[in-house]
Amino acid sequence: MALAVGIDVGSGFSKAVVCEGSAILSSAILPSGGSYRDTATRVADEALDKAGVARAAVSLWAATGYGAAMVPFADLTATDISCHASGVHCLFPSVRTVIDVGAQFSKAMRLDGQGKVTNFVLNEKCAGGSGKFLQLIARMLHINVEEIGALSLKSGNPVAFTTGCAVFAESEAVSRIAEGALPEDIVAGVHKAMASKIVNLVVRVGLAEDCAVTGGGANDAGLVKTIGEEIGVKVLVPPEPQITAAYGAAQLVQAKGVP
Amino acid sequence: MMGTYFAGVDIGSTMTKVVILGEEPIASFIGPTGPEHRKLAHKVMEEALGSARLAFDDLDYVVATGYGRINVPFADKQVTEITCHAKGVHSLLPSAKTIIDIGGQDSKGIKIGNGKVLSFVMNDKCAAGTGRFLEVIADALGVPLSDLGTVGLAATAPAVISNTCTVFAEAEVISQLAGGESVPNLIAGVHMAIASRVYAMTAKLKIEADVVVTGGGAKNIGLVKALEDRLRMPVLVPAEPLLTGALGAALIGRGLYADAVISGEPVRRRAKRLGEATFFS
Repeated sequence: MALAVGIDVGSGFSKAVVCEGSAILSSAILPSGGSYRDTATRVADEALDKAGVARAAVSLWAATGYGAAMVPFADLTATDISCHASGVHCLFPSVRTVIDVGAQFSKAMRLDGQGKVTNFVLNEKCAGGSGKFLQLIARMLHINVEEIGALSLKSGNPVAFTTGCAVFAESEAVSRIAEGALPEDIVAGVHKAMASKIVNLVVRVGLAEDCAVTGGGANDAGLVKTIGEEIGVKVLVPPEPQITAAYGAAQLVQAKGVP
Repeated sequence: MMGTYFAGVDIGSTMTKVVILGEEPIASFIGPTGPEHRKLAHKVMEEALGSARLAFDDLDYVVATGYGRINVPFADKQVTEITCHAKGVHSLLPSAKTIIDIGGQDSKGIKIGNGKVLSFVMNDKCAAGTGRFLEVIADALGVPLSDLGTVGLAATAPAVISNTCTVFAEAEVISQLAGGESVPNLIAGVHMAIASRVYAMTAKLKIEADVVVTGGGAKNIGLVKALEDRLRMPVLVPAEPLLTGALGAALIGRGLYADAVISGEPVRRRAKRLGEATFFS
């Protein structure tokens, strides 16, 4: 069998997906930490272990993401924009707008009917629309970042933050907590602040249905719901939103093949 | 006590400043603003009155300014901090044409002519370019905020901080520190980053000499030098750069009082008590 592995070395997490054609056999996610090169190998080995496949059985390797250049054994290196597009298009062919909320970056992309990227906007300058904001608030509230989504959905009265700046919002949150604001209203307010930054990206790229949200931020049900409310359309979320670009990389390398 | 007395109270995001004015400024006090739900402006006012040996009822007019000016129960009038800064700076340094104010949670550029505001720009939406950026970096490096200026002057080759966002710049500074960069070089790099950010904002106004730097940022000698480098001109710093807004407020109060006296209208102070200012009405 011809197997392909896609590895996405992100600023926060590295992901690997083992594919046979468009089917996902297994996947793994590890914090990127220290050496990108080591992490890339480890995350790929973990995914291969889960699938019960030896390295030698893999015929195609693809790398993407922030640290893609640190994956020397890749047959194909592609930008995370094109890998996201490829991954989303394979999962949801009807999607024309993709919102990716990563650990440090968020981006919006427009796709055509063939899954080609026609336009994209990046936010890499400000933590306000990124997963980093969620981490800061989780730390402040002494909760795990994974708990934020469910907590936010309980909110009846989201706190209105004056700015979308993560640093200012964190200190505002401290004041609001001191005044008796509930943690669920704080996190729901953070979701609103983040969503308004993200919606700016979507407006710049031009919204077209269907819309999908990917990246670690898409694991946060509260954020996904708020983004949907702010842009006014239903959003689709892949079953494992964090591995979208790694999956797309594996799809791209299979489509292009290797000479 | 005889005579007429005026007070300006400037409630900033971080510090509250009070200046009491007779013929000349006679007392001032700077204290923390306190948490948003419980502003401590009245405490700062009490301290200033104490050092002036005045009672609150001795004041003929009180003007409040700053971002927390709206709900100050003991003020007769509210005036924006832009207007008050312009007035205060002009009274101290009449040659000033451009003011750069670096506060705890905002930064502003103001062009003035004859003490009047001609135009201004402001950033209070993003922590980059504000005192908060310095606070975060000082914390990360374990250097007291008040020492940043002198420590940064010991830099041999300022580090390049490529991130604008405070959150990302903090991570960048920590990683450069782990990579062996020196603390003075990092601090100098941070001062340059703030200076660039503030310069980019203020340049929209067409900067003209003399440039006066005010706010807490003006107490940081390293930041002031970085601004001078970026502006390619020397800047002036008032002896008490935190007090220009409160001074301007007191001067405006004195002017309003004098106008009323000249026009023969009684200056009727609303029944005021020295009580807590609140953020929410």
